Amino acid sequence: MKFFPSLFEFHNVSFSVRGNEILKSVNCTVLKGEYCAIIGPNGGGKTTLIRLLMGLDKPTAGTIKLFGVEQNKFKAWHKIGYVPQRSALVDANFPATVREVVAMGRYALRGVFSFESAEDRHIIEESMEQMGVSDLCDRLIGHLSGGQRQRVMIARALASHPEVLIVDEPNTGVDVESQHRFYELLRSLHKTRGISILFITHDVGVIAEDISKLFFVNQTLLVSQTPQEMVRCEEISRLYGNPSHVVCHNH
Amino acid sequence: MIEMLSYPFMQRAFAAGLIIAILAAISGSFIVLRRYSLLSETLAHVSLVGVSVGLLIGSNPLWMAIVASLIASWMIEYLRSVHHLYSDSILAIFLSGSLALAIIIVSLAGSFNASLFSYLFGSILSVTNEDLAVMGIAGTAGMALLLLFFKELYFIAFDEEVARASGIRVALLNFMLVSVIAVIIALSIRVVGTLLIGALMVIPPVAAIRFGLGFFKTMLLSIIIALISVIVGLSASFFFSLPSGAAIVLCLLLFFIVALVINLP
Repeated sequence: MKFFPSLFEFHNVSFSVRGNEILKSVNCTVLKGEYCAIIGPNGGGKTTLIRLLMGLDKPTAGTIKLFGVEQNKFKAWHKIGYVPQRSALVDANFPATVREVVAMGRYALRGVFSFESAEDRHIIEESMEQMGVSDLCDRLIGHLSGGQRQRVMIARALASHPEVLIVDEPNTGVDVESQHRFYELLRSLHKTRGISILFITHDVGVIAEDISKLFFVNQTLLVSQTPQEMVRCEEISRLYGNPSHVVCHNH
Repeated sequence: MIEMLSYPFMQRAFAAGLIIAILAAISGSFIVLRRYSLLSETLAHVSLVGVSVGLLIGSNPLWMAIVASLIASWMIEYLRSVHHLYSDSILAIFLSGSLALAIIIVSLAGSFNASLFSYLFGSILSVTNEDLAVMGIAGTAGMALLLLFFKELYFIAFDEEVARASGIRVALLNFMLVSVIAVIIALSIRVVGTLLIGALMVIPPVAAIRFGLGFFKTMLLSIIIALISVIVGLSASFFFSLPSGAAIVLCLLLFFIVALVINLP
């Protein structure tokens, strides 16, 4: 029997803001090698779930473990590549080249007042190449298209050599063609580099065939093994608040 | 030029001005990119409270300015990061509040208007050896901190959330940055003056950003603009008997206009 260690564990996690409950008693586990999606209505708590995972917000109850370690004792944040929701929205005048942005992925791994090592340079080049942004390396990040910026942000996340990639609503402000290319990239990273993937989306159908686990979040959490099981689940309609149909369309 | 540098007061003014120019351009780059430009203006007004208290009680105004500026910077950062108040609102409150306090102290004392004028607009005659020593020590410490955490501060300026998620101690570094800026501003008042130091921090990076370069080149250009402005401004102050701060700021403005014209959209 093959053993898959857990990457993330939520134990009875709740989160409220000024008495307003955003998430209630969430229990879930993401295992190494999984390719997971989080879906749910706007305001249902999807982004909150990710923010709690990344330590950006503190749960009001419950515990979170990362790589088997209590979150408050966890230090190896470089193992998690994080691309937040608004990452493609960059100020057009911000003085940062593509290479400088990708290099940020190495910062947490380098010591204080350290210069880029040969290994750092190699990994930065490799990450840019993998995301197909090497030829843009001297361009300002703010001068790129939404799709290109998205790939740069993924390259930055990859530069820390993560074991898992967390992407929050990757398609915000991105055209349809770029969306498809993006999902191809995620698939490729999962298959070729063995990186576990966890992302928030509204379009499960596009990636339905690849997902190993689907989380449905609307204040509470419902876990299903496959999107097909989720489609059949009457809970979706109940949790969305109105009758819903999920259409799987293969590409 | 050589004659100008033969005067000890000019040597001190140039030494102080060059230290301030480099520190202001580096730290200013971070606050400009974080849309926090008014911080320098606010802390400059707060440092005026320290100067007023120093003159009133007969203590070194420079030390008092550093203390007042540091305390205010921590309060501002605390209100911003812990209480999540809007940055511009907090800065507006501290700016007007500190100016009101400084005016009350000055009017109560009523006897040091001439000295205060040099703190408001800068004076090349006012830099003493003691001031220079304080600038050297505090300036070196400030520069060391900025260089030690340079890449982390850049990451935070670009994307504070991802920097925090990467394990970078954002809250601590934010407090460190505002503390260094508070000290730099307090140190600058002898040369540039409290009312004009904001320009030395903000204009060089804003002008440099217009050239559309990467961060490291932008910062280097920003330092060059600040250095040239200080050298030209201090020289103009010597030759034409102008307040040094005003001369430096006019020079900075010239750079800004040139940067705008060269890089018209």
